[in-house]
Amino acid sequence: MENVLEIKDIQKSFGDNHVLKGISVSVNKGEVISIIGSSGSGKSTLLRCATLLEKADSGSIKYHDTYVAKTENDKEVYLSKKELNKVKSYFGLVFQQFNLFPHYSVLKNVMDAPISVQKRDKAVVEEEARELLKKMGLEDKADAYPCELSGGQQQRVAIARALALKPDILFFDEPTSALDPELTGEVLKIIRNLAEEKMTMVIVTHEMSFARAVSNRVIFMDGGYIVEEGDPEEVFGNPKQERTKQFLRNYQQ
Amino acid sequence: MSLFTMILKMSEGLGRTCAIFFLTILFALPLGMVVALLRMSKRKVVSAVTRFIISVLRGTPLMLQLLAVTYGPYYLFGFSVSRNKLVPVIIAFAINYAAYFAEIYRGGIESISKGQYEACEVLGYTKAQTFFKVILPQVVKRIMPSVTNEVVTLVKDTSMAFTVSYQEMFTIGKQIANSQTSFMPFIVAGVFYFVFNAIVDFVMGWFEKKLNYYH
Amino acid sequence: MKKFLTLILVAAMTLSLVACGSKKESKKFTMGIDPEYPPFSYMGDDGSYTGFDVEICKAVCEKLGYEFNVFEVNWDEKLVQLDANECDCVWAGMTILDSMKEAGYTLSAPYYSNTQVLLVKEDSGIASSADVAGKDVAVMLGTSGDELLNTDLKDLADTFNNVITCDSFLKCFTELGGGAVDAVFVDYPVAASYAKENAGYKIIDENYGAEEYGIAFRAADKELCAEIEKAVAELVADGTYAKIAEKYPDIIDNLVFLR
Repeated sequence: MENVLEIKDIQKSFGDNHVLKGISVSVNKGEVISIIGSSGSGKSTLLRCATLLEKADSGSIKYHDTYVAKTENDKEVYLSKKELNKVKSYFGLVFQQFNLFPHYSVLKNVMDAPISVQKRDKAVVEEEARELLKKMGLEDKADAYPCELSGGQQQRVAIARALALKPDILFFDEPTSALDPELTGEVLKIIRNLAEEKMTMVIVTHEMSFARAVSNRVIFMDGGYIVEEGDPEEVFGNPKQERTKQFLRNYQQ
Repeated sequence: MSLFTMILKMSEGLGRTCAIFFLTILFALPLGMVVALLRMSKRKVVSAVTRFIISVLRGTPLMLQLLAVTYGPYYLFGFSVSRNKLVPVIIAFAINYAAYFAEIYRGGIESISKGQYEACEVLGYTKAQTFFKVILPQVVKRIMPSVTNEVVTLVKDTSMAFTVSYQEMFTIGKQIANSQTSFMPFIVAGVFYFVFNAIVDFVMGWFEKKLNYYH
Repeated sequence: MKKFLTLILVAAMTLSLVACGSKKESKKFTMGIDPEYPPFSYMGDDGSYTGFDVEICKAVCEKLGYEFNVFEVNWDEKLVQLDANECDCVWAGMTILDSMKEAGYTLSAPYYSNTQVLLVKEDSGIASSADVAGKDVAVMLGTSGDELLNTDLKDLADTFNNVITCDSFLKCFTELGGGAVDAVFVDYPVAASYAKENAGYKIIDENYGAEEYGIAFRAADKELCAEIEKAVAELVADGTYAKIAEKYPDIIDNLVFLR
């Protein structure tokens, strides 16, 4: 099985706050992994380290065969800026707060990075972008501005924007947490569709039933450690660790 | 002196008033951005020095700065005083207004959410692309009301060029008022400034409207 | 006829002297003043006349042993009143006019002078106002110089390249020192004190807008005029003049004898 991402034993502290205490995750092609856990468990930081928004203090991060970071002689060494830019095209990230560009139309939000970062042909990019928007159910919103859209629609644009760069792996950072409850469904449906297309995805989420339904593997994090990891039916149906049980119990209430 | 002659004489200075106005805008707007970026520099020394300079420029009267720029080099180093007063006037105005614009820019830039930068980073934009394609356009929209404020003030501040005997409209008005012992030139000047600012208001309003396609 | 008149006059004076009794040779000197021309002559807080001219005249009288007297002239008729012996002189901040000389009045040397001069750099090569043609000249807003360049001296101003109006003397001089202008058009005393304190400047005095004050006597009173002038010179010499002048700071710089 082809390995897309391999994280080994990464540690991360913010001052005295030791957030990640040696996390290892491996993601294979076509896998959908959900990361659950209470806030402060380190799951968002893990995602930010994987997407290079934060630099790990130690440990290694490897995309395909490229080591983005590894510990050499007790020092964490990252690739040069230039090489990192190449690696960035391997992954995409969907934010909790969407982070669309408010001054760009929906279509331009989706098209701009492929054109100005990947230097691809404008006509081809536009065709693909319209196709993506159609897939997101937003083909009639191409000329609208983000402020004219609902939260659910904005998040779907954000997903289209990430997909436009054709990443090998897509990260979601609590993609429905900022949405009104009645709008989460439309976003989850899109992610489910992507899962069916065998898109490799890592999703940090609080939607337990969604995580159970869509993932191949679930990771439960607590206090900077991976406490339990495995098949969703096992983790949700028959958790082995006491902390997992407690967390899920709190969630069901 | 008839009112007509008065207006005619003062109009001669109006061209110089406009020169101060437009040249100040032309130089202060970009210079302010440079100052703002220095002010936000991660290098503590650079940012502290810039901060001090800004506080001096904002904390002392423009009139003093005009005097300092025009006559300072003469008194300190014996350089000759410029015959064409437009040069020191524009230098003083541009520096002074750049300090104000810099703080406006800084406020605007800092009001842009971290998420915009992170989105750019993940999408692979370079620093320059991030700034010019994503951040700056949003900053421009946000700071328009404050910039309009400064521009309106600038129109009135042009009269300060009198301090260094630059023959702009208000200077001429003052001379006429003095020789004719008449208050009329001040009324004429008031009308000039008001009309000037009405135009400025209109243009800036139009520009703000143009940027109103999103919020 | 004249001799006869003088005789009567002397007789009258002798009579009055006799009448006065004790004082010997106390000649009356009547000063013609304009009572509303401060600071030269005006009514003081105590209701008696005072002012620079009045005080000097009093001091002169004291020196010469004259009895000091004041006559308030009607300004438009002052010379007629002088001729009619209403007063012995007109001494009232009066500008000496050519017409007075032509009419034969005895006029003292000017004691107050307000002329405009050009202050230039010594090494500028400017020797006369003709050399300033096509050059830049600074003038302070609202001064007599500024006014003159717009009125009586408009022709002169038109020969300049540019007249630059400053709002202080210091700025005028800074412009000159810094080479932004070639000359400053300014009151003589202002220019003189600046040139004295700062090396490298010189004054070009061509009597622009000259305004000179003097004392007018009747045509025949040349001796009296000389006597008064001599007394004034003595007052200048012994410092009394300067002491009085110090009380009038507005005019002190324009007093010719104190230069």
